[in-house]
Amino acid sequence: MNFVFKISRLSALLMFAAAVSMPSGEVLAKEIVLGASVQLTGPVANTGRYYRDAYQLAIDRVNAAGGVKIGNESYKLALKLYDNQSDVNLSVRQYTQLVSQDKVDFLLGPFASNFALADSAVSEKYRIPMVQGGGASDQIFSRGFKYIFGTLAPASNYFGSTIEMLSGLDPAPKSVALLYADDAFDVSVAEGTRPKLKKAGLTLVLDERYSTNATDFSSLLAQIKSKNIDAVLVAGHETEILNFVRQAKSLAVAPKMYSFTVGVPSEDFRKALGKDADYAFGMTAWLPSTDLKDRWFGDAAQFAAVYKAKFGYDPDYHAASGVADVEALVQAAEMAGSTDPAKVRDALSKVKFDSLYGPIAFDENGQIDLPQTVIQVQGDRLVAIYGGNGKIAGPKYPMPAWDVR
Amino acid sequence: MKTARTMLLLAALAVLAAVPWFGSDVLIQFGINALLLAVLAQGWNVIGGYAGYASFGNSVFYGLGSYGVAIAMAQWQLPFWVGLLFGAALAVVFAVLIGMPVLRLRGHYFAIATLALAQVMAAIVSNVKLAGRNVGLVLPPLNNDPLFYEFSLLLLVLATLTVYWLTRSRFGFGLIAIRENEEGAAVMGVNTTLYKTVAFAISGVFSALAGGIHAYWVTFIDPESAFDIGLNVKMIIMAVFGGPGTVFGPVVGALSLSAVSELLSSEITSFAGLFFGVVVVVAVVLMPRGLADVLRRFRGTGWRYFGENIRSHQL
Repeated sequence: MNFVFKISRLSALLMFAAAVSMPSGEVLAKEIVLGASVQLTGPVANTGRYYRDAYQLAIDRVNAAGGVKIGNESYKLALKLYDNQSDVNLSVRQYTQLVSQDKVDFLLGPFASNFALADSAVSEKYRIPMVQGGGASDQIFSRGFKYIFGTLAPASNYFGSTIEMLSGLDPAPKSVALLYADDAFDVSVAEGTRPKLKKAGLTLVLDERYSTNATDFSSLLAQIKSKNIDAVLVAGHETEILNFVRQAKSLAVAPKMYSFTVGVPSEDFRKALGKDADYAFGMTAWLPSTDLKDRWFGDAAQFAAVYKAKFGYDPDYHAASGVADVEALVQAAEMAGSTDPAKVRDALSKVKFDSLYGPIAFDENGQIDLPQTVIQVQGDRLVAIYGGNGKIAGPKYPMPAWDVR
Repeated sequence: MKTARTMLLLAALAVLAAVPWFGSDVLIQFGINALLLAVLAQGWNVIGGYAGYASFGNSVFYGLGSYGVAIAMAQWQLPFWVGLLFGAALAVVFAVLIGMPVLRLRGHYFAIATLALAQVMAAIVSNVKLAGRNVGLVLPPLNNDPLFYEFSLLLLVLATLTVYWLTRSRFGFGLIAIRENEEGAAVMGVNTTLYKTVAFAISGVFSALAGGIHAYWVTFIDPESAFDIGLNVKMIIMAVFGGPGTVFGPVVGALSLSAVSELLSSEITSFAGLFFGVVVVVAVVLMPRGLADVLRRFRGTGWRYFGENIRSHQL
C-alpha cells in the first residue's frame, strides 16, 4: 500500500508541474511582448541586473514615445522576464516557456556566453529571433544559427582598435608581447588578436598564457625587458593587471606602451595604482558620450543620467548593450512592417541605425562589429584616444622609464 | 499484493514514458532535467546509500561523461553512442584509479578527499587541448527533446533496476555489511576493497551516462559547468531526502524536489532559492531518514512520527 501512495504522489506531482506550466494569460492585442530570462539571483546576478534594468528602461522609453509603429498602427511593448537563478538548465526551460506557452513575440538575451550558447538553441528551434547583449563569445555565432543576433563586441576584436592605433604611432612599435589569462574569454581574445597583429606587420615576440589569478609576473616581465619589447597587450582580470603594473614598476620594466582589456576604465583601478596608473592604455566598448545619438534617449550621456536617476547606479556597457537589443528589435519590426518572427529576423539582418550604444548592424552570422574605444590614463584623467572612426585625441607615447616620471 | 505493485509500477512507467506525447515542451524539458537528476541521485545511492561512503566526487563522473560525449562528437565526429561508451569507460578507469587510494579513507575523511576531486579535474581539463581547454566544446545541436527524454527515462530505469538487483544479490548485501560495520564485513569474508571499488564504478557509470546525455542535449560544456560541485550537493540532497539505501527513495526524492524547485522558481521568482533552502531544512528536521522512511512508518505512528524526529534532534 505504501507503494500505491508513493506512485500516486509521484503522478500528482507531475500533474501539478503540468498544471503550472499552462498558459498564464492571453496576450493583449496591439502589444509586442519581449521575453527574457536573466540572472536576477545567484553568482552573476550583479551583472544580470544591468539587463533587467536596461530592458525595462528602454521599453518604458519606447512606449512613452508612442510605441512601435507598424504600418499605421502603434504597438506597445511589454516585457516578460524570468529569473534563471544563474542556472543554465533553468534558463533553457524558461526560454522554452516564453516561446511555447507565454507566446512572446521576440526574445531578449541572458547575460554571459554560456547562457547565450544554450539559449540560442531555443530561439533557433522555435524560429523566434533573439537579440542578446550578454554573450561575446564567437562560438555563439559560429554555429550557423539564423535567429540569434548579438550586440556585445566580439572577444576576437578586443585589441582591434588598439592595433590600428599602434600602426599610427611615432616611433612605430615593432615587437609585441601578448599575455593572456587561461579562461575562455581571454583565450578567445588572444586567438583573435594574433592574425590582426600579423596583418598590421607587427612581430609577436612573446605569446604567453598564464593561469587565472596569477600573482607573480616577474619572469614574464623579465622576458619583456630582455627582448626589449615595444608594446605589451594583456588580456586578463583586474587583480592580475594591478599586480602586473606594480611589478613592472618594481622591476623597472617600461615598454613603449602597454594595454589592458579590463581595469583601466574603472575608477577603483586608477585609485589602487595612484600615479602608477598613468600611461596605461585600456579599452571600453562604450562611453556615455554626447556623440552617440539615439532616437529615444537623445544621446548616451542623457541615457546615463536617466538610468542613474532611476536605478541609483551608473550604467556600463552591459546596460547600453541591453538597451541596444530592445532598440534593434523595435527598428527591425518597424522596418519589416510586421510582427512576424521570420520577417523581423530578415529585417534584423539588414538593420542599420545609430544608437546610444554605437552604430548597430549585424554581419551574416548575427554578430555586431563594434570596435572598442582605446582609452588612456593621462595624469588624473581618462582620455578616449582612438575609436571606430579613427583618432580622437593624442596619446601620451612612448611611456617614459619609471625613474624619470 | 506483489503483482499489484508491479502493475502499478509499470503503469507509472507507461505514464512517464508517454509524457512527450501529451506534455508541453516545457514539461518535457523539465522531465529531462528531473530524470537526469534522479539518475545521479540513484547513482550516488549505490556508493552513498548502500556502501555508506558519502561521495562528493560523483560530479567528476558526470563531467567525464559530458566530456566523453563532447570530445567524441565535437573533436572526432563520432556518433553519440560511442561518446557515451567513451565517457562511461573514462568513469570506470577514474573510479578504479581514484577509488583504490581514496576508498581506504572512512567517514568524513573520505568525503573531504572526494570534495577536492571535481576542482582538480576542472583544472586538469582546462589545460587539455583535446577538451577545448577553458573555452569548452560546442556540440552539434539535435532538436529532439522527446528523444532525450526517453533516453533519460531509459537510463533511470536501468539505474533503478541495478539498485533493485543490489537489494537481492550477494554483492548488495556485501555493501550493506560494509556500511554497517566494515571490519565485521571483512571478517565475514567480504572483499571490501573490491566491493567498494565496484560500487564506486557502478555509481560512476550512471553519473557519466547522465552527463553524456546532458552534454548532447545542452550542446555546450566547459570545465566549470561539467565539474560543478553544486550538482554533487544536489544529488546528495535528493537521495537523502528520498531515502538513501532504498530502491525508489532517490528517484522520488529527485523528482519531487525538482518539481518543488521548479514551482518555486516560476511562481515566486525572487525568493525561490530561499524557499528551497527552507524546504530542505524542514525536511531534514522532520524526516531525517527520508521520504521512504516516512511512508514506511507514518501509518503506524501517525503525526507523532515528526514529533519524535524533532525530539531525537534534541532541538
